[in-house]
Amino acid sequence: MRLLRLGVAAITFVLGGAALMLLAQPARAVPPFARQTGLACEACHTMPPELTPFGRRFKLNGYTLTTRPPLVNDTDDHKRNTLWLTDLPGIAVLAQIGYDHYNRAPPDTGQPYPAHAQSDTFQFPDQFSLVYAGAVSDKVGAWMQLTYNGQSGSVGIDNIDIRYSDHTFDNKWVWGVTANNYLTFQDVWNGIGSYTIPNFNTVTLSSGGVGGTGTSGPILNALGPGVVAGLGAYAFWNDSLYFEVAAYHSAVAGGGSPVVDSVSLAANGGALDRFAPYARVAYEYDWGYQSAEIGGSALYADWIPSVGYISAQQQLAANAAGNTYTPAQTFYPGVSNRYTDLSVDWQYQYNGQHNIFGFLGHVTHERQQNSRQLVAATFTGASSPIYSNPTDTLTQFLVTGEYFRNRRYGGLVSFTRTTGTNDPLANGGNGSPANQYETFELDYVPWLNFRFILQYDVYQVVANNQSPFNLSNATFPNSPGFTNIRAGNNNTWVLGLWMDY
Amino acid sequence: MKKFTTHSLNVAVALACTVFGTVRAAEISVPPDASARDAKTLVSFACSKCHGTSTNGISISPLFPILAGQNSIYIQEQLKLLRQHDRADPHARAFMWGISHALTDEQIQGLAEWFSSQPAVSGRPSNNAALAARGKEVYENGVPEPHRVIKCIECHGETSAGTNNVPRLAGQHHDYLALQLHYYRDGLRANKLMNRNVKNITDDDIAAVTEYIGTLSGAGDSSP
Repeated sequence: MRLLRLGVAAITFVLGGAALMLLAQPARAVPPFARQTGLACEACHTMPPELTPFGRRFKLNGYTLTTRPPLVNDTDDHKRNTLWLTDLPGIAVLAQIGYDHYNRAPPDTGQPYPAHAQSDTFQFPDQFSLVYAGAVSDKVGAWMQLTYNGQSGSVGIDNIDIRYSDHTFDNKWVWGVTANNYLTFQDVWNGIGSYTIPNFNTVTLSSGGVGGTGTSGPILNALGPGVVAGLGAYAFWNDSLYFEVAAYHSAVAGGGSPVVDSVSLAANGGALDRFAPYARVAYEYDWGYQSAEIGGSALYADWIPSVGYISAQQQLAANAAGNTYTPAQTFYPGVSNRYTDLSVDWQYQYNGQHNIFGFLGHVTHERQQNSRQLVAATFTGASSPIYSNPTDTLTQFLVTGEYFRNRRYGGLVSFTRTTGTNDPLANGGNGSPANQYETFELDYVPWLNFRFILQYDVYQVVANNQSPFNLSNATFPNSPGFTNIRAGNNNTWVLGLWMDY
Repeated sequence: MKKFTTHSLNVAVALACTVFGTVRAAEISVPPDASARDAKTLVSFACSKCHGTSTNGISISPLFPILAGQNSIYIQEQLKLLRQHDRADPHARAFMWGISHALTDEQIQGLAEWFSSQPAVSGRPSNNAALAARGKEVYENGVPEPHRVIKCIECHGETSAGTNNVPRLAGQHHDYLALQLHYYRDGLRANKLMNRNVKNITDDDIAAVTEYIGTLSGAGDSSP
């Protein structure tokens, strides 16, 4: 039973959303944009993927900016473009390589006797992507990414953002529609979401690299490729005020039917139920070399967890094996937890001739109302409940400071702290979802599309089952001797290389 | 029967192709910029993202020059230099080489006329009277040896409105002007006259003269 509970706890953690972050590697600047616009990276980026005010406007205008005349053009009788093709297919290769050295080797979890565990891992590549990025027509642009993920060893559809945009002549209003598969991928600020800085992150690297599950986090940051797809509309007024509303739906990779079955649930730890509305508002003020933004985000999502759901086939198989399942013991599709995420994010940039400063981050508060059928007090089945509490909360605070000199040398310091209600059934142990860590990063950028990264991540708090390196007998009963549950076991050196062309 | 030699056949084919090609070209030819955006659209769609989002040519960041009220001939000259990659200072390479390379002469003229017709920015009083006073001295009288600098007023005029291919400096971002003077002095931006005129200018004098230029109105006749 304890094993089952721990297993359930591990899966339940996925419901928290953090593991889904692993599914989507963040995208960065790509040379097709530079080729299309004729602008060097620094026009759009302070340091990729962080956007400058210009870069934000380029994205909000649908990736369409160019002064190149189209190679092929067709118009109708009203001089409206019906075909507008550039002479440049915006294809890029993007690669990340990572070498991680952990403070302590992770234990072996699958063998009766511990196998030889190494305290380092080489992701070569950590990610290798082919990206189409650029204008599709004069008013439509796209980012479409196909990625080989070194951690999973598989190739799959990665980030996609297709957007239509238009604007008034004086740019008082810029508006558009975005179809994307990664909530927050469409955002143009970097304090929150898929482009949060730090972006080359060992939490992402290590958690998938050695079979772990990473750190806990809100679902707002975790609805990525292969999990969801959404449609949003946005407007940017007077170069300052941004509004966006969107709705996301489950879009399980490989799931060709609307049936949310055990297979599709297990693939991502669950799936969105119905549409999840999302709203975003932000205010930006630019002066001199400086730009400041404060924004808010809200997500309201019903998430069907994979835990406990037993399909009809599984029931038949279980019955055949002599285990009788009754409806009272079975969790059916439609059992979902309700997440309400509210976030405040901010960003300050100084983008000078030689110096770049940045100070950005977010506070996200999540309220997770667990399904009555899964909560201990109201649980009616014969097997184990999943949650101790009817409602769990999670608060994540991230703040990052960065400095770069001449876009050649630089670094950042980032602090992340997550706290929440203790839910022993969901998380094991005392049930805390808390974690706290800092990231220290040094960057050397010999070319703007070729960057070396040295990173050190230091952990103070790594809560129950939130990490592959929580070295306790309880978590890894097949690895006797691993009783040290110091958070510092997770401390990680990362040597990374990022390049694109 | 006279046999065609290979050479004569080639000539005949070439001639036919030339004639036919000419005819075909005449039949299908379109104005070279028929499919390109007009200048006004370019201002809104492209230029404004750096040089003033509302298309008024007044940039926010000093990384990018204010173009409002700039002399049309100067803008055209610079755009052509940038298009040809003959202006090669670091910012020109990073921001303007690519984006200007496909501009037609008609577009360049249209862009220049647009920005030159926008209301110009005037200078503001300096908060550093001593520095501005030193700058006035440099601007109006130049600097003697050994840091010889030719007086700016000679070409840029009393109010720094410039004329023709001499740029208007009044109202320009202080940091942008200072950066250009560094570029001229250090040979990163090529202009025989300016390279010679400020060859020996000191950092202090760059700070002073740009401080003073920041106070000039840019009004009236640009002639000295």
